[in-house]
This record gives sequence, structure tokens and C-alpha cells, in this order.
Amino acid sequence: MKKRFIKTQKFASKTKENLWILDLIDNKNLTKDLYDNRDMWAFGQRAGLCVACKGSRMLCGKTRCSLMVRLNSFVRTIPAIKGLEIAGASPPSVFVGRIGYPYVYAGPLVPPVYEDTSLYDLPELWFGKPIDEIIGFRSMLIRGKHRVHVQRYEDAGKIMDMTRELALASSSTDVELALKKRPKGFIVLNDDIQPFGPSAPIRDLRVNAARWDQHIEKAFYDTDLKASPAVLELYDKGVMVTKIQKAFSVGAFGIEKQRRLVPTRWSITAVDSIVSKDMMKQIKTFPLINEYRLYESSYLENQFEVLMIPDSWSYEAIEAWYPGTVWNPDGRKIVMYGDWEDFDGRTTYAGIGGCYYAARLAVCELLMKEQRQATVIVLREARPGYIMPVGVWQVRENVRNAMCQQPMKFNNLEEALSRLSEKFLIPRNQWVNKSELITNARIQRKLTQYA
Amino acid sequence: MFKVKITDAKLLRDMFQAIAILVDEATFNLTPELIQLRAMDPSRVAMVDFQWPKTIFDEYQCDQPQKMCINISELLKLLRRTAKEETIELSLNPENPRLQIGITGKYTRTFHMPTLEPQEEETPTPKITFKTTAKTTTDGFRQAIEDAQLVSDHVRIEADAEKLTLQATGDLMGATIELKKGSDALLDLQTQEPAKATFSLSYLVEIIKAASATSEIATLQFANDMPIRIDFHQPKEGKLTFYLAPRIEVE
Repeated sequence: MKKRFIKTQKFASKTKENLWILDLIDNKNLTKDLYDNRDMWAFGQRAGLCVACKGSRMLCGKTRCSLMVRLNSFVRTIPAIKGLEIAGASPPSVFVGRIGYPYVYAGPLVPPVYEDTSLYDLPELWFGKPIDEIIGFRSMLIRGKHRVHVQRYEDAGKIMDMTRELALASSSTDVELALKKRPKGFIVLNDDIQPFGPSAPIRDLRVNAARWDQHIEKAFYDTDLKASPAVLELYDKGVMVTKIQKAFSVGAFGIEKQRRLVPTRWSITAVDSIVSKDMMKQIKTFPLINEYRLYESSYLENQFEVLMIPDSWSYEAIEAWYPGTVWNPDGRKIVMYGDWEDFDGRTTYAGIGGCYYAARLAVCELLMKEQRQATVIVLREARPGYIMPVGVWQVRENVRNAMCQQPMKFNNLEEALSRLSEKFLIPRNQWVNKSELITNARIQRKLTQYA
Repeated sequence: MFKVKITDAKLLRDMFQAIAILVDEATFNLTPELIQLRAMDPSRVAMVDFQWPKTIFDEYQCDQPQKMCINISELLKLLRRTAKEETIELSLNPENPRLQIGITGKYTRTFHMPTLEPQEEETPTPKITFKTTAKTTTDGFRQAIEDAQLVSDHVRIEADAEKLTLQATGDLMGATIELKKGSDALLDLQTQEPAKATFSLSYLVEIIKAASATSEIATLQFANDMPIRIDFHQPKEGKLTFYLAPRIEVE
């Protein structure tokens, strides 16, 4: 194992691109290595536990996710940072951690390059890019961190002021970051957030004056506007969801006294949820679609099938993890996990996490565009090649891509289901049994049938 | 001109609460004789059929038949502010498309809310030949349904000549609840032939919870794999009836 690791590192250092990831996927021996070293895994790991936890809830009882630790050891090939000063153009990008809430680490993400880096933090433009390219540029982002209380960010001095300003910038901005220590750690991978590089506490920070996004700036200075109307207004004006999320996380919206920093991963789901909830309110008044529809998209070994049923609004998301995927490395069985809501919506957090809300946003966008209503079921198959979580944007963009395709249309549910099972490797009955809404559509009769 | 007055604020509130279980925007038919509403929930699985003759009100005035569509949950927000002994006056002025809600108790307040575009199409009543009629206390039936909810999200209701049986089967647990003829909960049972049908508990529970505030006795009518009709007996020829479509197991 150790030998192999050294070899990988050498291999990567020879080439500039992160070829090691492709190598990891293609080379059976390497992948075998990755999954066979059992001593690093939690004892008595139950199949499904990891899918529910995704490295964030620590359900196995350990303080660090052993799967993540494993993955990280393979991703240590980030460009070494020499010295304590990092200067470069931030995309712009900031990160607010959640550990220790309400005392969190916040700060900018800065790559050691001067060029237009705006792509580095715009997941809207990433769809279709190979995983090694994304990891490649994300791993260059060094995270400076500064301990701050989420509500008392104004007392935290100029480091925090500049971080907040940076988050609102409309294009990449030159940043000089002085660190207290050498950046330590590996690339951070997570199911909700985009990966980023190693981190260190900030000694000093200088951010060049930047032009702000005009719409975000307006919302920022409107201290009587509540946060969710602000988010909706920006979305309506066409500001990208991830840009809103960034500003949201540094507390740029809301009534002045209630503003606070929001950990990045919470802010992503918060914005997805706020925007889609508002759209759902309108969707419920639209006429139903006329037929059964099936939309498809596949990216990064994630196969999405979106089934729409001509019935009143309700929504379900189910994901299936193959043995060998990130959150189901050990299992012999496919692990399926899902959550749903009916016409009246939900009040609790969805069991499967942020991807539930990201996919909901994407399907609502289509229904809004068509001014139609439907029961929507998003099915996701994560296949063995998906060994590395890249963030919830993958779900949002993958489903958005599905929504851009021409749907296949069917006259009844059974036809749609048989088409769906052709695309999936998991047999149809497993999906049908797992899905609350498909089951419901098959067995619940309507009163109109008895008129 | 439409104007009604009722001294029992709670009665009005409970009734709107029961309707709000299924519909958000409700179109009422107002005639010189009665107020009536028939509406289905958005997924067309359940229906409410409601009727209040003018005798229920302390004052009733309606010159000509008309329709009134209001957002029921908004109205309920206002009605929740009423105390038990207060008097409520609802009025609709032809010149002004707003519903006036006057509440008189220790002091007087008047709210008004917009009326919405009424739904023109009438909701038809399902045509079903029922095979079984069971008369239960609303509370007894409610308890039985809540028992079933502990183990499952659907329940099979069966009747033979002797008893009414509720059978719930969940993923792990199950329950059998029997209401025998002559028991306190089951007042009467007439079965032409044994019948059974399965229903979603999420609907049943909501309906019964809300309707039990308005009624002591419920009459259930059903047949094999057909919708159930639940009549919650109201005072003075009032009517509150729900229909609920069955679940039909496949394979």
C-alpha cells in the first residue's frame, strides 16, 4: 500500500495535470488498493450508514470520516506552497466552516496564480468537465481561515470585512494572503461543497478593491429587506445560484440586526430551498402536464432519470449507491436512500441531504418555464466510477442538464417505468418498491375514476 | 347582498377547519336557503361535501344565488382569534368584492379579505353502490384509526354481518382492530355482503381529526375496492360528508 502511494505521487509530480485520478479509476490494481485496506475503516460499519452520513454527520461514532481520510491520502499531490505568503486572483471565493458553530472559521480561498480564475468558483460552468480538471483547479485554492462568531463578525476586524467584500465581488480579484503557518492538510472533499485545497490561519489579508455585482450590492445595502425575499429577488434578476449562495454565506442579506455568517454548506442548501419553495408555491396553481415524461442525464458516473407524472405537485428524490462508490465502498449490496414530500411540502430536513434540494430547484425551474404542474421523481444511480464526492452542484447541474433535453413521453406509467429500467442497472422493482410516489401512483385511485 | 350571523364562533371555525383539510381555495355556493360547497383535494383522492341550511345561523340573508371563493387558510387565521362566546358576522357586498368578517365579543373588530375568482365547474359526486353501512361514534372510529396509524400508513376496512374490522399492516408491525355489533363504538351495522377496501391513513386521520370537532356520530359506507363515504352527522340538517378513493394493491 505504501509503495503504491509513493508511486502514485511520483507519477503525478511528473505530469502537470492530475492524471492520477484517471489512473485511479482505470487502474484496477490501484482501485483495489483503495478499497481493500480494511483496517482504516470503521469497525462494524453498517451498509447504508455511510450513505446517510456522507462524511458529515459522524454516524459511525468516529471523529473523522475514515473514508475521507483514505481518499485524502490519495489526493495529496497538490502544488506545494512554499512560504507563508500567497498572492493571486481569488475567483472570488470564500469559505465559512461549520465546526464549532457559532464560532466558525471563515476566510477567502486564494489560488497562487494571477489570471482570470473566475471559473474556479462557478459550478454552473463546470458541467461536462472531467473530474480531474475540476479537482485540478479546485485543489489550487488555499483556504485562509479566521475564527469568528457568526453574529459578531463586525468585531472581527478587517480580515472579516475584507472576506465579506471579496464574497460580493463580481469577477476575480487580486488578494494577498499572509498565513500564520504553512497550509496544512489535503484537498477537502465533501458531498455538499465543492472541493478545495489546504488551509491555514490568516495573519493578514489584503483584497484589491473590486467591483461588486450590482444586484447583490443593492440587496447588501438594503438593511430592511429580509434574507429570503432578497434571495428571490436576486434569482429573478438572473444572478447565478452559486453567487447568491456565496453572498448568503457571509451574511450579506437580511435585516441588519439579524445578519450572520452562514456555514457554506448550509447556505448552499438554504438558497436551493428558498428558491425552489417559492417556485413550488406557483407551480401548484399551474395546469398538469399532459403525459408521463422521462428526462435523462449522465455525468461523472451519475445517471439521473427524472420521471414526471401528470398529477398534482409532489416530489421525491432517491439515490442508489453501488458497491465501490464513495459512500458505499464496503457493501456488497446497492444501498438506496430517498426522501419525499407531498403537495403540502415538508417542514423537516430531507434525509438524503443537500442534493434533495438541489435537484428540487432544477426540476422547479423547468416546471416554472413551462407553467405546468407535475409529480416529480428524481432517481439517481451513482456507479462505481464515482469514487470522489465533488459537491452538490453536480446534482443541480446534472438535473438541469436533464431538464434541457427533450423528454421521452409516454401514455401510461408502466411504459415509462419499463423505459426507465432499460437505462438503469438496478432492476425496476427495486425502484418501484423504494419509491413512495411511484407506489402511490400505481395503487392510489382517484375519485374522478368513479364519477 | 349576502349576510349571515352566528353566535357560536367555535362551530364556524371547526367547520372551516374541516374543509381546509382538503382545499385551500374554496368556492361556496350561496343560495337563499343554504350555503353549500363540494370540492376535491388537489390530487383528487378525497372530496368534501358540505351543506349548512340557513337555520343553523342566527341571521341569514341572501337575495340571490351566487358564488364566493375565498382562501380558507387565510380566513382560519382570523377565526382562530375568536373566543368561544363571540359572535361572527360574515357579509359580502356586491359593489365590493371583499368578504367582511365582523367579530363581536368583549369588543368589536372587523376584518376584510379579498374574494377570489370562483371555480365554475361543479364537482360531481362519485356514483357508488355501497354494500355496507356502519354507524359509529366519531370518537370510537377516530380512536380505531389512530391505533392503525401506529403501525402503518394505510388501513383495510372490512365488514361482515357481525363486525367492522380495521386491518393495518406496516413494514414490521401490524394491527387488527375490531368494532363488534352492539359495542359502544359501533352503533349499527348493515351489510348486504362482506366488503373490504384499503385507504390511505394520512387522509383518514386528518379528515377524522378535523371532523370529530363538529360531530358525534359518523356513518361509513363502502363496498369492495370502492371509495368510502363518511357522513359526519350535523345538527339541523347540516351536512358534512367526505369521500375517499381506495388504494388497490397490484401484484
